[in-house]
Amino acid sequence: MECKDYRDQFTSLLTDSIHQKERREIENHLAGCAECHKEFEAARKIWDLMGEIPQPEPSPSMRTNFDVMLNNFKEESVAKRNPVGEWINRMREYLSLQAQPRLAFSLLLVAAGLIGGYLLHQPGQSSIAYNKQIDTLTSQVSQMKEVMMLTLLNDPSASQRMRAVSYTEEISNVDLKVIGALFTTLNGDPNVNVRLATLDALVKLADEPKVREGLVRCIDLQESPLMQSAIADAMVKLQEKSSVMSLKKLLGKKGLNQMVKTNIEKSIQKLI
Amino acid sequence: MMKVKNGDIDKMGLLYERYNRQLFRFIFNMTRQKELSEDMVQNIFLRMLKYPDGFMGFGEFKTWMYHIARNAVYDHFRKVKRTPAHYDLTNLEEHIEGDQKSDTLLEKEQEFKTLETAMDKLSEENRELLILCRFQELKYHEIAKILNTTEGAIKVRVHRALNQLKTNYLRIEN
Repeated sequence: MECKDYRDQFTSLLTDSIHQKERREIENHLAGCAECHKEFEAARKIWDLMGEIPQPEPSPSMRTNFDVMLNNFKEESVAKRNPVGEWINRMREYLSLQAQPRLAFSLLLVAAGLIGGYLLHQPGQSSIAYNKQIDTLTSQVSQMKEVMMLTLLNDPSASQRMRAVSYTEEISNVDLKVIGALFTTLNGDPNVNVRLATLDALVKLADEPKVREGLVRCIDLQESPLMQSAIADAMVKLQEKSSVMSLKKLLGKKGLNQMVKTNIEKSIQKLI
Repeated sequence: MMKVKNGDIDKMGLLYERYNRQLFRFIFNMTRQKELSEDMVQNIFLRMLKYPDGFMGFGEFKTWMYHIARNAVYDHFRKVKRTPAHYDLTNLEEHIEGDQKSDTLLEKEQEFKTLETAMDKLSEENRELLILCRFQELKYHEIAKILNTTEGAIKVRVHRALNQLKTNYLRIEN
């Protein structure tokens, strides 16, 4: 550093706004450089002289005047304040305090809405989940119907048993348990109407080979003429040729109703 | 000051207690008139009571006070062209009464008068800077806040002002 650089620091040295390290550097330089030392002493003399200039104290009356002024001001401001104005001010203050949390809350709501909307509108995931739910519900309902049907089939009331049979149409996947129950009803139910309804229900399920087989087998188990001719009709409808044997056997039965006999003969002819 | 703003007027009494001497000396050094300075201190405090909204709630009360004080002083200078008034040296004379007025004291008196004249010859800006720095004993960063500038700028300007004062002083002395 040159002398000029040191001299630029003189004022900072006097105002004591300099780091310890720099202060030491300048002092070292001053000890060695007579020119700078002289310059600094001149500056310091002025600086010290400024510090010595007598500074007056404010007179005691200034304090008294201030107190009077402050009191007057207080009284004036109290007089100025009317209750309504103060109330309005308080309300305003309260509202301004409320404003921030309110704003934050409304922003939060908007954000929640956006996020919720976004989640609901994610097409892939949610609709799959939705469909899954529906599927589960559907299968549950169907299971319930099955259970209900099986229970109702054992009901003493014939009309309840008819209702149970009609449920088979609503059961989506008819399993062996249901088919078994239907055949038991078909062959053993005391009421002809129930048996007829069961036959109708089974004909609708005839896609199942087991059902056809069962139907053919039950031909010679039926005693009621109504049932006999209904089965013969059903066999024609289903075009079940394997039933011809059973039907012929039925024709050979003793005490067969004449009408039924004719009907069965017609059916055999149609089937052949 | 925030309390004053919110209606606790008594707190202004505390602020007065703390700052009245400092404020008085600033104005006195600027104007060199004792009574005028006392009146101005009064007016400045009244102004702060009446218009507390000027205080933003951030920064220091002191900075705000100096802002108002500077405005008041410069308003005064605009109305009354600044005339070099003298420091009242009667205090000094009272102070040394009892002692014999020795040569050194007479010499000191002479030096003060020279300094006074040297300061009067400074630009308004430099004079104010030296008053803030030396008489008010404010730090560079405090002055920077009052004058709305940087600490570095203040450092350079105070240095220049002191150099100018020194030159003035030496010229008068010789």
